[in-house]
Amino acid sequence: MTSKLTYMGAIGLAALSSVAATPAFAAGTTAGTTITNTATVDYQVGGVAQGQQSASNNFTVDRKINLLVEEVGTVTTSVVPGQTNAVTTFQLTNSSNEVLDFALVASQITGGTAAHGGTDTFNANNFRIYRDNTVTGTIGSWDAGDTLLTGYVDELTVDTAIRLFVVADIPAALANNAVAGVTLRATAREGGLAGTQGTAITETTGANTAGKDTVFADIAGVAGDVARDGSHSDNDDYTVQTATLTVTKSSRVISDPFNNTTNPKLIPGAVVEYCIAVANTGGAAATSVVINDPVPGQLTFNAGTILLGGTVTSGTCDFNGTAGGSYAAPNVSGTIASIAAGAASTLVFRATVN
Amino acid sequence: MRTALFLLLAMLAPGQAFAANQVALDNAVFVERVSTDAQGKQRIILEEPKVVVPGDRLVFVLNYRNAGAQPADKFVITNPLPAAVRFADAGDTRPMVSVDGGKQWGLLADLSVPMTDGTHRAAQPADVTHVRWAFQKPIPVGGSGKLIFRGVVK
Repeated sequence: MTSKLTYMGAIGLAALSSVAATPAFAAGTTAGTTITNTATVDYQVGGVAQGQQSASNNFTVDRKINLLVEEVGTVTTSVVPGQTNAVTTFQLTNSSNEVLDFALVASQITGGTAAHGGTDTFNANNFRIYRDNTVTGTIGSWDAGDTLLTGYVDELTVDTAIRLFVVADIPAALANNAVAGVTLRATAREGGLAGTQGTAITETTGANTAGKDTVFADIAGVAGDVARDGSHSDNDDYTVQTATLTVTKSSRVISDPFNNTTNPKLIPGAVVEYCIAVANTGGAAATSVVINDPVPGQLTFNAGTILLGGTVTSGTCDFNGTAGGSYAAPNVSGTIASIAAGAASTLVFRATVN
Repeated sequence: MRTALFLLLAMLAPGQAFAANQVALDNAVFVERVSTDAQGKQRIILEEPKVVVPGDRLVFVLNYRNAGAQPADKFVITNPLPAAVRFADAGDTRPMVSVDGGKQWGLLADLSVPMTDGTHRAAQPADVTHVRWAFQKPIPVGGSGKLIFRGVVK
């Protein structure tokens, strides 16, 4: 700017009152457009029309670099240990007034609080970024038809939002509620050449030029991503939801040959009932839970006494369930199809003291 | 104030000197920015249109002067809006405007825009396609003045 002036009076006051009403233009006039304003004067002198006078001015619309990276949805992505292709979803919007490329970097936070409150405790592996295919496949969700990106989004149209999927593999052997924070950062790059990532963009500094200047207009993103740096970012996270199983075993005497079922004692010939209770204190259901229990040599398994899927009340086995399971000496075994998070299930069987 | 502004404008646009004609017209554009000083007081600053991005407010300033030897009568200044500029207001200069490409003219409050269903709605500043000032009285010899209107870069 070579000079400036202030203009007060009625015009200035009117301006003050209307500044707040400046409309929001997402992208607007294409960068480099020349705006020419021409005014004309028609008049008469002594009743005779005179030649029309005109005056023009023009200026060039500069380039406003503005972009937005947003996590889609406001919940963590639940994963299980060892899961491959765990997906977090982001949206990238080009609010600049020019078609641009956008370099993408998916990184992980180390420690600290993740996007949805947990503390980052592990890192996921094998990060990939996909662009949603909006023509075929499941639109809005990651599927095989989406495009694997090689570090940048090519030629993103003005005022256009696209969906990006950050896909990673989760390590095995993680505890329930373990969290991995993920950051996706997009940086504007020069557009104009399809199939090639454009060069870095720098803001026009120093003296302004009459031609097309570049102005960064992006807002601040995650910690470390300041406003007006030509890039924007957002966080998301993975939270491990796994089953945590605890096993408890209890027993009771059912009968003996002399007292029968009245106050039976553990003498040879007595029948003992065992209960193996499996409680799931994790955040996800455990499926295909196989229980295996070798019968001690001093006992003889009573055929047809296995009960599966029984209940536990206040930590005490109810010694119930439905018939099932199998016995292959010396092992009693049975499979419980599913134990929901927070629930428990049992395997019950009887044996006789030798 | 007006003289000072006039001189400044002349300096800002040296290439647009007034033509040696009966009537001289000068057309300038500025970007209007709000700056807040240390006391939190807001000031409107008009800058040259060097850095202009969509959403910026523009002030168009038209200076006219009767440089001839006789009064200029039926004096009409017409300014079509550039396609990439949305009309905002014209301060207190009360121009006639057109919202249909220059066919019909009137005060903005008196105009309407036809809808596709045959009804009409009141014209909005964004509908304006042309601005026009028609002077009732002749401009005397040496008489001059300034007209402004505001727009926003689309």
